[in-house]
Amino acid sequence: MKKHLGILLAATVGMLIIFYTESCKKIKYVDNTSTDLNIYGYIKSNPDKYSSITAIVDKSGYAGFLNAYGSYTMFVPTDSAVKIYLAEVSKTLATLTEAEAQNIVKFHLLEDTLTTASFKDGKLPTVTMYGQFLITGVVNNAGASTILVNRQGTITSANIKTGNGLIHEVDRVLKPAAKTVAELIAADPKFSIFKQALQATGYYDTINTINSTDPKLRRWFTVLAETDKALLDSGFANYAALKAKYSNTGNPLNPLDSLNIYVKYHIIPDIRYLADIVSASSHTTLAPLEVLASKLDDVKVLINDLDFNGVHEIGVELERTTSDISGTTGVLHTALAHFKPKLRFPTAVFWDVADFPEVRKLPAIFRRANFDFAYGAVKDITYNNPANVLTYSFSTSSTINMFWSDYLTVPMGNTSRHNWIEFTTPILIKGRYKVWVCYRAAKGSGTVGLPGGSQAPVQVSYDGVDLSRPFNFSDQRPNLTDGEMDALGWKRYTVNTNQLMTGKFLGIVDVTTTDRHKLRLRSLPAAGTGNPSCFLDMFHFIPINDVQYLPRFNIDGTLQYF
Amino acid sequence: MLKKTVLKLLMLLMLVPFASCKKWLDLQPQDGLTGAEYWKTKEQVAAAVTGCYISLTGSQTGARSNTESFFVWGELRADMLTSTLATTPEQIDVINVNMLPSNSIANWRGIYETINYCNTVIDYAPGVLAQDATFTQAALDKAVAEAKTIRALMYFYLVRTFDQVPLKLKATQSDKDIVSIPKSPQEDVLAQIVKDLSEAETAAVVDYGDRALNKGRITKATVNAIQADVYLWMEKYTEAVAACNKIISTAAFGLVDGADANTWYRTLYVNGNSNESIFELQFDNQNLNPFYTMFNVNRKFIASPIVMDEIYTIDLVDPLKADIRGDGVAVRSTDQLIWKFVALSTNPSNSSLRVQSESFAHWIMYRYADVLLIKAEALNQLGKGAEALDIVTQIRTRARALVATNTNPSPTDKLLVGDFILKERAREFAFEGKRWYDLLRNARRNNYQRLDLLLDVVAGTVPANRQQSAIAKMKDKNCHYLPIFTYELTTNKALVQNPFYK
Repeated sequence: MKKHLGILLAATVGMLIIFYTESCKKIKYVDNTSTDLNIYGYIKSNPDKYSSITAIVDKSGYAGFLNAYGSYTMFVPTDSAVKIYLAEVSKTLATLTEAEAQNIVKFHLLEDTLTTASFKDGKLPTVTMYGQFLITGVVNNAGASTILVNRQGTITSANIKTGNGLIHEVDRVLKPAAKTVAELIAADPKFSIFKQALQATGYYDTINTINSTDPKLRRWFTVLAETDKALLDSGFANYAALKAKYSNTGNPLNPLDSLNIYVKYHIIPDIRYLADIVSASSHTTLAPLEVLASKLDDVKVLINDLDFNGVHEIGVELERTTSDISGTTGVLHTALAHFKPKLRFPTAVFWDVADFPEVRKLPAIFRRANFDFAYGAVKDITYNNPANVLTYSFSTSSTINMFWSDYLTVPMGNTSRHNWIEFTTPILIKGRYKVWVCYRAAKGSGTVGLPGGSQAPVQVSYDGVDLSRPFNFSDQRPNLTDGEMDALGWKRYTVNTNQLMTGKFLGIVDVTTTDRHKLRLRSLPAAGTGNPSCFLDMFHFIPINDVQYLPRFNIDGTLQYF
Repeated sequence: MLKKTVLKLLMLLMLVPFASCKKWLDLQPQDGLTGAEYWKTKEQVAAAVTGCYISLTGSQTGARSNTESFFVWGELRADMLTSTLATTPEQIDVINVNMLPSNSIANWRGIYETINYCNTVIDYAPGVLAQDATFTQAALDKAVAEAKTIRALMYFYLVRTFDQVPLKLKATQSDKDIVSIPKSPQEDVLAQIVKDLSEAETAAVVDYGDRALNKGRITKATVNAIQADVYLWMEKYTEAVAACNKIISTAAFGLVDGADANTWYRTLYVNGNSNESIFELQFDNQNLNPFYTMFNVNRKFIASPIVMDEIYTIDLVDPLKADIRGDGVAVRSTDQLIWKFVALSTNPSNSSLRVQSESFAHWIMYRYADVLLIKAEALNQLGKGAEALDIVTQIRTRARALVATNTNPSPTDKLLVGDFILKERAREFAFEGKRWYDLLRNARRNNYQRLDLLLDVVAGTVPANRQQSAIAKMKDKNCHYLPIFTYELTTNKALVQNPFYK
């Protein structure tokens, strides 16, 4: 029995040992989909370069989310960068407070993944978590080009991929702007006159106030400040001279005072870096209904460089090196010359729709032959169906008496033809205009003047607002005197007296901004499948108090004023 | 007992078929030839040389076709192309000077494939002399000359595109031949190119006795043309002029008459192998070029508006007076379609377009006009501006270039004459894969004296909101060369990324 007990004991002990050792072995389950390090893991695993920034992240308490799922871009300063920074602010890693550490991390972090290939000139498309945009640019030092971030640090190693975003290594700690745009202007002696004008008109405070702590709700400003030299060149030696010239009411705080308007014309109520300014053709300002036109001329950024009624107006350059200066309330640019809102009186625009830059480039076609432009080939004319073409037509037929003998054939209808077609007008000066459409009446089937056949009733809208009267490409004008037709809303716009050549009054528009606007022709339900023969020649915008039926237009391009 | 005997007998019988199969340990592939069996006859040498040419027109292993590389490397970064909605993000990044090492445009795989084919011929063809009594030393020299010339041309593309590249001069036949080779400086690669070409020059054939062979294979004139181009790149102008003169003095080439634009276009570009041509990649209906899907159906690229506005210009008074190389040849001006490789006539109607099965326009590597303009450029650098301008006039007269594009430079002003020649080259070789290399060669001359040429290009091609970054990048001369593709860096540890892309 004793022998049996011994065996039993040995067996039990043996079993226990087996169980214990078995239970010690942990079965490894794969609980992650990738072994890639996240941003925090990456900087922590490279302590030779990133130990300081790791310490700052630890202090800020953001290590958790930087090590979790997400898509971020982080500019990671190296140890030497942090060392330089700490020396500048006279701190050590130990004395840095939690709030300071948080601000540093937030300013280096974007909630988006941006490779260096997506960097543009100027601000990054996404705002930092701190609430200020970072700007990037490429600089060339002694033949070597590097990407400069916020005009402070260069990228020394780019596009490092981690599990939750991208890392760009920078050789300096990036520091957010501390001054408002107003303070930037005040601190720069070359803007002394402009600063006084800002203060006198009350806008200094507007651009000096951070109106919301949430960067996504904050109202930003872009200020185009004129230098003292620019003003001196235009004859303003000091603020008094500027005030004497512009302040017509004597009170610059009055919103209707010209000095007040002048200052407002230099402020865009949004954040627009130079790259944004050249990407759009016009920008609204604080001045009511006044826009700044902008364009890129070779490499220069020009403001208000316009061709106006055939006259070229020389623009004002924004100096690149002294522009794109970030402030806490927006961005500051330097204008190299004086500019002001232009006082313009409404002038008639006789707009030949068959004269646009794309066709002018084709000398064998322009005013010589027909041509179909593919969808998208003409910048200022667009329509609903990309399968359709834009037909430029030329005809010397004795019954087609178009201005310059050319026109656009724009078949309108509700099925395969243009449901709508939209034009961008030439620059219209603000004011009230009567709008006329000029076309040659025709029908694809049936006879003009008789009922039945193709119909193309069209509603025209100006900047999205319908004009009061529709028109029909199949209708010809009545055969009456100029006065009688004017009263009924028709006119003979051609020198030729062919009754098919029709001018039709569409309504009155209020052009509120001196700019290019949108005019859209929309096929009305009554059109059905529509009319293939819609021969569009011109649009007339004539100030309401001017004579409406003159001049008349001839096939050889001449104008007749009787 | 009997049962057992029968069983044993049967078992013995089963062994018989196995024993009779003598080949059961033979590991030779069933569907191909091995190196040991190849290189026995002169026909095999000829086939291997033909393989070098074929690899220029397309890859056997799925790499981007070399012809496409010649086009995208030579045109994408220059000013004559514009992107469309079908342009790939990688191609747009190249246009915007946003090249990253992960961008496959930088993949040189197809070029090194061709180099390896050439190396194989150079290494193994001499062994055939002992195997095939009918294979002569002269035939061997000729085959090696062809391979060396093609190899030199490939390295010339590589140094102009990547600056420093690994110089691989031995064939890679099996895995044991794979070695990691570091990059060689541009001078070393150029020295090897010059050496290969001068060795090839003596043995190269002058006349194969057949038009298609003379234009589709390496001839002595081809070697001289590449020499001229290489010397021009190396800024050795006397040698460049000498190489050009060797071709001119043969009197075997001439400019195709441009009196009738359509005849000229069809002779030079549609039919190919013209009297003007020196070396062309021969596409045919069995071997189509890559251009149908690049320019015609998908339109990955269209011509930039400057091609008609500034390069050829138009005569607004008389539109019928036009440079024959412009509308209807380089480009269809109405929709900026790149016309040269996809159309059968100068009539700008859609019916002129080649259908896919007809997409075999040849790729012209060198032609007589190129030799003349290389000579003009070299002469100008040697201070012989007047002679250079005479040559340019010859080219312009043939093409009926418009007066508006004649800048009338003073013959003594090297810079102005140089610019004039550069512009004439843009007109003459539009979309023939030469523009970027022409710009870079002119820009880098005299220690980057004309860097502004490249800055002007990006100022016009890059979108407004990236323009300043692109200009600043272009100021770095390392940015003018492409990065080494990421895959190459991981497989060849001896490679170091090019400076701008670290």
